[in-house]
Amino acid sequence: MKIETFKYDNRIVRAFAIATIVWGVVGMLVGLLAAVQLFFPDANLNFQFITFGRIRPLHTNAVIFAFVGNGMFMGIYYSLQRLCKARMFSDWLSWFNFWGWQSIIVAAAVTLPLGYTTSKEYAELEWPIDIAIAVVWVAFSINLFGTIVKRREKHMYVAIWFYIATAITIAVLHITNSMEMPWSALKSYSMYAGVQDALVQWWYGHNAVAFFLTTPYLGLMYYFLPKAANRPVFSYRLSIIHFWALVFLYIWAGPHHLLYSALPDWAQSLGMVFSLMLIAPSWGGMLNGLLTLRGAWDRVRQDPMLKFMVVAITAYGMSTLEGPLLSIKTVNSLSHYTDWTVAHVHVGAMGWNGFLTFSMLYYLFPRLYRTNLWSTKLANYHFWIGLMGMMFYCIPIYVAGVTEGLMWKQFNKEGFLQYPNFLETIVQVVPMFKLRAVGGTLYLVGTFLMVYNLYKTAKAGTFEPDTEAQAAPLEKAVATHGKPSWHRVLEGKPLFFTVLATVAILVGGLVEIVPMFLIQQNVPTIASVHPYTPLEVLGRDIYIREGCLGCHSQMIRPFRSETERYGEYSKAGEFVYDHPFLWGSERKGPDLAREGGKYPDAWHFNHMDDPRATSPGSIMPRYSWLLTQKMETDTLPARLNALRKIGVPYPAGFENGPAQKDLQAQSEKIVANLKQGSITAEPDREIIALIAYMQRLGTDIKSAPPTAAK
Amino acid sequence: MLYNIIHSILREAGSINGYGLFSFLLFFGFFLGVLVWAFALKKNYLNHMGELPLDGGEKNSTDKIKSEKL
Repeated sequence: MKIETFKYDNRIVRAFAIATIVWGVVGMLVGLLAAVQLFFPDANLNFQFITFGRIRPLHTNAVIFAFVGNGMFMGIYYSLQRLCKARMFSDWLSWFNFWGWQSIIVAAAVTLPLGYTTSKEYAELEWPIDIAIAVVWVAFSINLFGTIVKRREKHMYVAIWFYIATAITIAVLHITNSMEMPWSALKSYSMYAGVQDALVQWWYGHNAVAFFLTTPYLGLMYYFLPKAANRPVFSYRLSIIHFWALVFLYIWAGPHHLLYSALPDWAQSLGMVFSLMLIAPSWGGMLNGLLTLRGAWDRVRQDPMLKFMVVAITAYGMSTLEGPLLSIKTVNSLSHYTDWTVAHVHVGAMGWNGFLTFSMLYYLFPRLYRTNLWSTKLANYHFWIGLMGMMFYCIPIYVAGVTEGLMWKQFNKEGFLQYPNFLETIVQVVPMFKLRAVGGTLYLVGTFLMVYNLYKTAKAGTFEPDTEAQAAPLEKAVATHGKPSWHRVLEGKPLFFTVLATVAILVGGLVEIVPMFLIQQNVPTIASVHPYTPLEVLGRDIYIREGCLGCHSQMIRPFRSETERYGEYSKAGEFVYDHPFLWGSERKGPDLAREGGKYPDAWHFNHMDDPRATSPGSIMPRYSWLLTQKMETDTLPARLNALRKIGVPYPAGFENGPAQKDLQAQSEKIVANLKQGSITAEPDREIIALIAYMQRLGTDIKSAPPTAAK
Repeated sequence: MLYNIIHSILREAGSINGYGLFSFLLFFGFFLGVLVWAFALKKNYLNHMGELPLDGGEKNSTDKIKSEKL
């Protein structure tokens, strides 16, 4: 049998490894800045580009797509070549993938602080960047499938299945959720509105966690854990069940982000039931990982890489148990909108993704540089400091979350809310926010130790740009193991396998999303709900730009504790003109769904100028620039035109003249109102538009009782 | 015709009982199929698959490189 000699590309692996480290540090630093602002709001130095609302998405995007994204590519480019016994399909595509991805990250780091955001969580990047993401993802997918096709190993190991599922699903999710109507070079409106937008967004949001943060990393676990432990995975059979059950189930679980919202009940229940079933495959995967180490636990004591991996797999198990529990409607009624969710995702991000990434880096650097790790001691310090950091981050935030949930729901003996002022509940948890920042700092310090250790390792060794390898070509290498089974035939045919995996992931999405769009009764219309006025449209766009939904929800759930505090619960029909929906997922401040008419215009003006002047102890940043910056009226026709194209019934020609007049009249009315509060303001300032929007919120059904159109 | 049938089935989706049951059975059937499939696989095939990551085909093995100094 002829043996072929070929070379694995290590340069691309090293490039992604360095990018992982650099963006990891950046993402964590931005997270720390955001964390500090939650107890020291002036930490933004009254600089609009680094306010909490704008850097929160920067932090989440940096950690998910830059840190974990590069980590994922690093691990895939290393393991795929070795599992396929082939160099990557195209070096050009590899580098296009690398530089394209880094450009997207830089574009995100520039546009998000500037306020260019779609406001849809983990999909905040605007339309030109969305297109770039799709192009780079296609390049990566071609390279992935091309390598699989030219492989010298007949069988596709389970890790490759996870990579395939990742490639297909992320493409489907990203394209479906990014359907938007541009109105300028950098701004757009979501094609979907209200409830439908919410369902598509959380179908995406949940599965971004599933197929960006979980499936590729599970593939990496199935490769790097056996490598590090130097033994095969505990049960290959279990890994097959893990894969198929996980990819089939995950896609259904999205609606658990919208429990007790205006989403139809059937969709909420489906989300809950499928989330609960997810425990089974997730724990199957966790146990498969941990049991791989049976008989090798002595090595865990010595090898920091294995230590990181054990904690990562345990964190995966913990967060995949907690996730389904949080999806139970009664638990969710307490946890939703609180910091409990923040703690939950950080167990996943810091524990599962972070520690698995550190583990891979400790594995790869010595091998890429053909030397031993510079200091095991330092790596052990990193492990313990990182673990302490995680604990100091998560435990206080769990306490904060439960405290918030309980305080929001507490009634006194007379039947009134015990804490009617929202501020009381947030002041109570500020000490926890401080402890959380300590935890984040520790985690970051640990990361710096790793950076130094890996730098010294690289200095001590010699980089091997290509690793020479040998294998027999595919046709000659077919090994027979009795009569080929159906599964063996299947995973020997990557295209057929891909089609089956695509069907498995699409079923759940279609079953949930199609009825939402086809059945009118899912979104009953309300006759008194009208499109936003031109001034309110501008105000809403400012609300989106500033990232207000990072702290304020616009969705009152049907609980007495919420209707007492905020007013009538939210109805699906109220959001039919909301492109995009702005329900939010966090409450660091009160819900704003019925904010309209609660306070006079002057209160909003003063509150935006200095929140602590009207609400002592508030942790909201100042928005004084809104008082001086002029609103952008020249783009109004483009905005209204775009909204009309996606279904908002503005009359034809409204944007050419009538809209400007309408805007002027409403602005002047607000200026007159402010004058009554002894405030002199120019009618063309951004604050006027924002006040108009705030005063509109929730008033459509306040003014008239809701009546179903049909 | 077909559209009307699908439409009327979907209209029933408002009642979670039928819809939820259908979804659950769909998954359960799929899951059973995967179980049967996985348990029908031959032992020597599974062993071969499990060993795949351990043989990277490198001429100059990196297996001796340590993340720990002993």
